[in-house]
Amino acid sequence: MLPQGKMAFLHELVKDCLQDEKAFCTVKCPFNLDVRDFIGKLQQGRYNAAYKTYQNTVGFPGIVSLLCPEPCRDVCALKEKGGSVSLKLLEAASMNFARNREPDQYNMPPKPARIAVIGAGPGGLACALRLATRKYKVTVFEKSGHIGGHLNDLPDADILIDDIRLQFKHETLDFRLNTRVTDISALDFDAVYVATGMHGDTFGLSLIAEGHYSTDRDGVFMGGSVTGVDVMHAIAQGLSTASAIEGFLKTGRMNHFEPPATETKLTYSAIKIIPSEAVRPENGKEYSREETRAEANRCLKCTCDACVRYSPLLGYFRKFPKKITEEVEVSINPSSLDGEATLATRLISTCNYCGLCREVCPKEIDTGEFLLRSHYTMREKGKMPWAFHEFFLRDMEFSTGEASLLLQPREQGELKYLFFPGCQIGASDPRLVMRSYDFLLNNFPSTALLLGCCGAPADWAGEAPSHKEVLKKIRSAWSNLGNPAIVFACATCNLMFRKHLPEMKGIFIYDLIARSAAIPSIHGNKTASVFDPCAARYEDGLQETIRSIATRAGFRLEPLPMEGRLAECCSYGGQVSVAHPPYAEYTVKKVINRNTNPYITYCSNCRDTFARAGKETMHILDLVFGLEQRSQPTVSERRENRLRLKAMLLKEYENEDFNMEMKESKLTISSGLREKLDTGMILESDILTLIETCEQSGNKILDPEKGSFTGHLQIGNMTFWAEYRVLDDGRYELINSYSHRMKIEE
Amino acid sequence: MEEKKKLICFKCNKELVPKKTDFSYLGHTFFTEIPKCPQCGLVYLSEEIVKGRISEVEMQLEDK
Repeated sequence: MLPQGKMAFLHELVKDCLQDEKAFCTVKCPFNLDVRDFIGKLQQGRYNAAYKTYQNTVGFPGIVSLLCPEPCRDVCALKEKGGSVSLKLLEAASMNFARNREPDQYNMPPKPARIAVIGAGPGGLACALRLATRKYKVTVFEKSGHIGGHLNDLPDADILIDDIRLQFKHETLDFRLNTRVTDISALDFDAVYVATGMHGDTFGLSLIAEGHYSTDRDGVFMGGSVTGVDVMHAIAQGLSTASAIEGFLKTGRMNHFEPPATETKLTYSAIKIIPSEAVRPENGKEYSREETRAEANRCLKCTCDACVRYSPLLGYFRKFPKKITEEVEVSINPSSLDGEATLATRLISTCNYCGLCREVCPKEIDTGEFLLRSHYTMREKGKMPWAFHEFFLRDMEFSTGEASLLLQPREQGELKYLFFPGCQIGASDPRLVMRSYDFLLNNFPSTALLLGCCGAPADWAGEAPSHKEVLKKIRSAWSNLGNPAIVFACATCNLMFRKHLPEMKGIFIYDLIARSAAIPSIHGNKTASVFDPCAARYEDGLQETIRSIATRAGFRLEPLPMEGRLAECCSYGGQVSVAHPPYAEYTVKKVINRNTNPYITYCSNCRDTFARAGKETMHILDLVFGLEQRSQPTVSERRENRLRLKAMLLKEYENEDFNMEMKESKLTISSGLREKLDTGMILESDILTLIETCEQSGNKILDPEKGSFTGHLQIGNMTFWAEYRVLDDGRYELINSYSHRMKIEE
Repeated sequence: MEEKKKLICFKCNKELVPKKTDFSYLGHTFFTEIPKCPQCGLVYLSEEIVKGRISEVEMQLEDK
C-alpha cells in the first residue's frame, strides 16, 4: 500500500531519475546550450529554429561561433567512438542556413529600473543586451572610444563587431564612450555591472561567496575578464548576470538566481553509444546542408533512457518513471470534480512486474514495484476493474481448491523435501510433474508433494485478502509437515516464496536433476538459446544449471541479447493479457524474435506463451524426460490437466480413484470454436454449467430458423452466452459462445 | 441495438421485442433497447452487439 504522504513517496521514487539531467556537452558549455534541442532542430532541417535557440542562448552567435574553443569536444560520448560531434561547425551551419538572422523585436513596455554597465567589452555588452531586450534602461560606460573591447584587436574584428551591432539593432541604450568611471558610489543607478575587462578597475569591490557575480556592495555585480575568465565565460557571465540583476531588482536579494550548471549526474554507462565517423566538411571549412544533417544525426542527444529502451512497459508507452508516477498519483488521488478520473488504470495493470526497469536503471528506480503497490491501492479503493484479473483469480481458486493435493511419501520419518511444482507446470502437461516427483522419490524418498498455487495471481491483482489466504494455506501445510526444504520447479513460485514466505527456504529441482539424473543426449548438437524467465533474473546458479542440462541434452547454446540479469518477460508476468491484449502481443512478438533458434526455458508460462505464438520452445523438463513434442493446451485443457494430474498422483501413490467429472465431454465443439473459446478465455466447463442451468430453468431463446437455443449466465462477475443444440444422446453441440463484463440488470 | 431475426422465448413462447434494458459496470449504469421477452423479460444479446458496442463501452469505462 502506498504510505501516507503519497506525494513525498512519489518524489522519493523519482528524485534520483536522471531523465532530466543535462547532457555532458551542455554542462561543459559556458552557456549551457541545450544541445539536444539544438541538434534535434538541425536533424529536422529546421535551421531557423536551431539558429534561434543558439542566438537566445549565447547572445552573440557570430562571436561565439568563431571564438569558442569547443570544450564540449572533450566530453562528447563519441570522442573515442568516431570523433566528437563538431558543434562549432553545426552552430556555424545554423547561422549560414537560417532564413533570418535578425534578432527578434519585442514590443514590451519599458521598465523603470536603471542599470549601469561599466565596460563595453563582450561581457559587459552581453549583460547590456539581455537587459535592454527586457526593456530596462541601460547605460553603458566605456573608457575608450569604441565598443567591443579586445575583440577589436582580433583578426576577424569586423565580423565580430558587426555581430554586436546586429544584435543591438532593435534596442535603445545610452552608450557613453570615452567615459571612465572612477567612483562607483557616484553612480545613481538601481544596479551596476562591473565588466571592466582584463586588468580592469575593480573599484575596491570583492566577489562574495553567497551570490554569483555578486560583490560585497548591494546591487553591484562584477564578472567577465576582470575576474580572470576567458572571453566565452565573460559573455556567458554577462548574460547570466542580467538574470541575477533582474532577480535583485525584483527581490532585493543578490543571490536570487541559478547560474549555468557545470555538472551532470548523467553517466556514460547510461547512454547507448552508437559509434560513427565524424563528418568532415568537403570544402575544409563549412558544412553543406547534407553534411550538417549527417553530422547532426551522429549526435546521440545523450540522455538516460535505459528504462525506456529496455523495459517493455516504459518502451511501449514511451513514458519515463517521472511521468508514470505523476499519472499514477492523479489516478490514486484524482483531482477531477467527480473524483473518478483514473488516468493510469490500464497502465498500472499492464506491468509484467519483471524487474527489468530496475535492473537497467543506473539509479535502480523500481517502477515495477511502485506500480504493484499502486495496484494494491487502486484495488483497495475499488477502482481497479475486476475484469482484468477475475479469470486468473478464479484459476488460482481452482488450483488451491479442487485441484490441490498434499501427498506424503510412504517412507516414515522426518521429511527432507516438499516438492511444490506450482500450478502451471501440471496445467501445461501433468506428465512433467509425475516424472519430476518420480525422480525425486527415487533419489530422495522422504519427499512430500503439494499441488497448489503460490499466490502470484492474487499478488499481481493487488488482491490482499485472497493473497494472504493462499500464503496461510501453504505455510500451514509446510509447518504441519515439520518445515521441510522446498523443492521448486517454477521460478515465479520461488520468487513469491522469497518475498512473502521467506522462512520457507528451498532449492530448485533442476539442481537436483543436474546432480543425479541421466539426461538423454539426443539433440545432436542442435543450436538453441536459453530463455531465462524474468523471475530467475537474480538466480545466477540456476541459470548455469539450466545451461549445463541443455548442453548435456545435446544442444549447442547461443546466447540471447537479453538474458541472465537482463532477462525479459515472455508477456505472461502480471497476467496483463486481459487488461491490455495489444501490449501482451507486442511483448511476446518482441521476445520470440530475439533470434531464430528454438528456445529452451524453465518456466512453463514462457514455454506455453511462446508455443502459442508459434515459436519452437522446450521446457527444460521436456529435455530431461523426453517430452519435447507436446501440444499447447487450451485454457480449458489447463484446468483439466490439473485435475488429471491429481487423479494420476492419487492412483499412483495412494491407489485411490479420483472421480474426475469430465464436464467437457458432454459438449461437442468444433476445433475452430474451441480455439475461439481459448482466445476469449472462456472455459468449456463454464459453458456447460450455463447450458445445464438454461436447460433446467427453461430460460433460453429459440431461433426457429436455425433450431438452436441461446442462453446466458453470470458466473462471477462475467456474463457468458452460449448458442447450442440439444443432441439426441443428451449431449450438447456448442454453436457459438461469447462473454461480456457489463452486467444485465434483469 | 436492433435485432432483426425472429427469436422466441422458449418458456413463454413469445416473440422477443426491443425493450429498454438496464446495464451496469464499474459503478456506472445506463440503458439501451435490446430484444426481450414481453412476458418474462428474458433478454438476448447477439455476439455482434457484445463484440461491438458493449465491448467499446466497457473499455471506455475502464479507462475513465
